[in-house]
Amino acid sequence: MSANGYELDELVVAALARELPDDTTAFNGAVSFIPVCAFLLARATHAPNLVWAASSIAVDPRPPAIPESTLSDALWEGAAMLHNSAQDFWPYAECGRLNTFCFRGAQIDAYGNVNNTVIGDYAAPKIRLPGGGGMADLGCVVPRIYLWSTTHDTRTFVERLDFRSGLGYGDGPGFRESLGLEGGPRVCVTNLCVMDFHPESKRMRLRNVHPGVRVEQVVEATGFELLVEGEVPETPPPTHEEVELIRQLDPAGARRREFQ
Amino acid sequence: MAGGEETLAGRRDKLVALDVVASLVPSGSIVAIGGLSLNCAPMAFCRELVRAHVRDLELVAVVSGMASDWLIAGGCLRKLVMGLTSFEGFGLAPNFRRAAETGAVEVEEWSERTLICAFQAAAAGVPFMPTRTGLGTDMPALHPDRTWEMMDERSGQRFLACGALKPDVAVVHVHEADRLGNARVNPKLVWFDAEAVKAADTVIVTAERIVDTADFRAAPERTSYPGYVVDHVVEAPRGAWPTAAWPEYGYDGDFFREYQQAAREPERFAAFFEQHVGLAVPAGERTK
Repeated sequence: MSANGYELDELVVAALARELPDDTTAFNGAVSFIPVCAFLLARATHAPNLVWAASSIAVDPRPPAIPESTLSDALWEGAAMLHNSAQDFWPYAECGRLNTFCFRGAQIDAYGNVNNTVIGDYAAPKIRLPGGGGMADLGCVVPRIYLWSTTHDTRTFVERLDFRSGLGYGDGPGFRESLGLEGGPRVCVTNLCVMDFHPESKRMRLRNVHPGVRVEQVVEATGFELLVEGEVPETPPPTHEEVELIRQLDPAGARRREFQ
Repeated sequence: MAGGEETLAGRRDKLVALDVVASLVPSGSIVAIGGLSLNCAPMAFCRELVRAHVRDLELVAVVSGMASDWLIAGGCLRKLVMGLTSFEGFGLAPNFRRAAETGAVEVEEWSERTLICAFQAAAAGVPFMPTRTGLGTDMPALHPDRTWEMMDERSGQRFLACGALKPDVAVVHVHEADRLGNARVNPKLVWFDAEAVKAADTVIVTAERIVDTADFRAAPERTSYPGYVVDHVVEAPRGAWPTAAWPEYGYDGDFFREYQQAAREPERFAAFFEQHVGLAVPAGERTK
């Protein structure tokens, strides 16, 4: 317990949850402890109509806890429906009825493109990562993408990705439009700050710094040129109620797996 | 019908023993396996491939972890076609990672939707299936002969064409099957598996238990795969272990943790793998 009555993981969860409006229809993939916590928190606070399909499979569940896998059946308890096949599921995502997905990446660039495939050359990688999974798909068709990272440093936030697994704003303004794609990433919540995207340049812009974090510290920890406009307000810390809820919704602390 | 056991009455008995299943998969085959990460992978089948020293397979596994890692550790794979390979909260799949980094196994990364499209094209008998997914990423250029961007002349819309991908064999794990090949997952949750089943030349179902056909006739709305699409049925109790066969048993987290521990030291891993999966493979015997 920190002196403030909350931990960093709780701040990140609360910051992401507050970005999610009441008409959110979200789903999640593998290793998505922070987003799952954020969906549950948003639903329990300002967004009672938020619908979440656990593991992309179990619609509107009521899990008692969050297990070691965010694709685990342990998240499906109380679901109103199971999407019983990929073919049953995908058109719901492609038609936009499911409107929200969250990405993290081993690398993230200024336009919100992400890499979860390889570090180094694809054919002879220095590190073989798990792979994009549905990233290459969802970045194109899901209207609202939220990015998160628990490792805000110059290895994660890079000028140039080693591989573009998931699409953000591509090469910049007009790129998505040229492919006939709408939407794009909305914000990126990290262990240091919250960033959004400049409406014209589509580059990441510092919006809030977490309590105790300096603007220069974020700029130095970012491997691309981060837009900073005027005074940057502090991220509002989680309320006592939010902290209590997070601890009830995730009693085993699965969210902290992302900070190891 | 109720209560009485239905006889085969001249119909083909599709039940085969687990220990002959590897003989249905010649070295060099394209094999698609079902499962979703920690859920319901045909692990007993994978173990048989390792024990039989099947070689040079092209494995198609959309979202897998332990299954791909076993087949790589066993030296069975030439190539892995995949969307995602990991142990999730239990870390990166260690043999997959090493084999990709050393080049011992060729890794061809697609994505979930594009692989489903490729299966659907194969099932439908068309050369490709169009999708908006995958556009603007580096993924299609990894296999330009199999995924390529196109423009529809009528609408002017750009899309990705996913070339038909037809596995020689698809293998999925279910809760119950009968000797005629009817198979069901309880509750019906077939995720990527159903598309691989429709695309493949030969379909093998491994089942927690074999039940009478009358059980299927009593609740036909619960059947996941019709008998006519299934070529071989194998009885494999706990055949998804250490992945889950929800809701009957969960994944074995202790096994995932022990496996990761063992994988840190090659000698320890060889002994662990031999004990739990199959005979260790001499380094020299690995695929070219």
